[in-house]
Amino acid sequence: MANELVSVRGVTLGYGSRIILKNLNFAIQRGDFMGVMGPNGSGKTTLLKALLGLLTPIGGSIDLTPHDGVPLRIGYVTQRERLDSHFPLSSLEVAVMGRFGMIGAMRRPRRQDYEIARGCLRRVGMEHRAALPYRELSGGQQQRVLIARALAGEPDLLLLDEPTNGMDLEAERAIMELLLDLQSEKSTTIVFVTHLLSAIEHFARRVALITRDGTVVIGAKEQMLAPETIARAYAAQEL
Amino acid sequence: MIDLLTVPFMRHTLIAGVLVALGLAPLSVYVVLRRIVFVGAAVAEISSAGVALAVLFQVEPFAVALVLTVLTFLGFSRAADSPRLPLEALIGMLYAGGSAAAVLLIVKAPRGEGEILNVLFGNILTVPVALLWAMVATFAIVGALQFFASKELLISAYDPDMARALGINVNLWNTVFYVALGFAVAIAIRGVGALLTFTLLVAPGAAALCFVRGLGAAFVVATTMGLVATVAGVFASYLFDFPTGPTIVAILAAVFALSYGYAAIRGT
Repeated sequence: MANELVSVRGVTLGYGSRIILKNLNFAIQRGDFMGVMGPNGSGKTTLLKALLGLLTPIGGSIDLTPHDGVPLRIGYVTQRERLDSHFPLSSLEVAVMGRFGMIGAMRRPRRQDYEIARGCLRRVGMEHRAALPYRELSGGQQQRVLIARALAGEPDLLLLDEPTNGMDLEAERAIMELLLDLQSEKSTTIVFVTHLLSAIEHFARRVALITRDGTVVIGAKEQMLAPETIARAYAAQEL
Repeated sequence: MIDLLTVPFMRHTLIAGVLVALGLAPLSVYVVLRRIVFVGAAVAEISSAGVALAVLFQVEPFAVALVLTVLTFLGFSRAADSPRLPLEALIGMLYAGGSAAAVLLIVKAPRGEGEILNVLFGNILTVPVALLWAMVATFAIVGALQFFASKELLISAYDPDMARALGINVNLWNTVFYVALGFAVAIAIRGVGALLTFTLLVAPGAAALCFVRGLGAAFVVATTMGLVATVAGVFASYLFDFPTGPTIVAILAAVFALSYGYAAIRGT
């Protein structure tokens, strides 16, 4: 389909001989705002890694549709807890990393890269914190900087790994509303992975549910959040 | 004090100190941030085993030490991402294994232990001119690499998943970093000894990271601290008739202690 940004066909994912997800068939549509949910250890991050190209499928294929003849650009928002707080980086230095893939090997970021990164910080309401050390920001502010970093790469698709993990409801709402604004502003396709039902329930438009048998079911939020669907997916964890 | 510059071997000492400080102090920022501070100590032991091996078989000691050092760092680059074992466990075992191998080989070597230790650990007071030029070339290449590949080295250490998602070859850049570190450490140990090399690979970066608020500042401050402490150490050792290497190490330790104390008082 012309509207498909990512097409996943018959994909099996795993590490070595250990299969985590099998026979996945789904598509991510242009302009999607999709939440990926599932029990802990069900393979949410594995799926994200495969979409990012960090994990080669054991079987099947993941096709990324070029945009206007240019290879699809994916912005990745990593889990902020995984970043080392000993690195003395300013918010701007973190944000400009999003440009690193576009600069070319052995070349330093130029003034215009910093200007673009600063513009992305502005879009997420963090320009006034550009010079501050990233590690001194609150969890919500750090998440905004990481979103700015992903935006700095001018992505067609934004993938976020647990973007509201460890946040209170107010901070979660602020981050998710920011993502909705970004999505409606430039029609950026957004896929976020979370184990928090609240983020899915209040903000996702479509939901990909990883079930206990290692498959993925995609549908409208109302359908996927039906109690019996959730119970099926989470049953294995409760046992 | 200016007399020092008229004494040829002290001039060489000063030049060697400045070169090693300029070469290692910027690297120390990444050595500290990558949590591999004991890599210098472990590699010194591996290097000593290599020298003893070379003496035993009567081949060029520095070449063997250099090859072993670079190979060890190459091994570190492969092990850096291992989910099986923290890198520090590997560093610890290399330290222990290298020490034991060095002792066992030295016992059987035809030349005396003192001579081997001199070949291995060098002496900042007796750095030959040829080695000074080798230092200039090595540290210039390593410095240029750090400057031009700053973004690859940074993101490979800070956020490898993001780096891979951006198409940056993290394994390649880790290898480049460790091999460059291997060359720098090997030549520094040969020139100024293991203790000063190890200290310059840790103290300037650790001291700078106590109070800087940006990575660029960390490199500038670490290099400045390393340079000033080394020059001060050379002059102090000349004035007070102390051994030069340990004097520089003591000053670097004091610089770190002051920086750490300052950061603790400020609560950063």
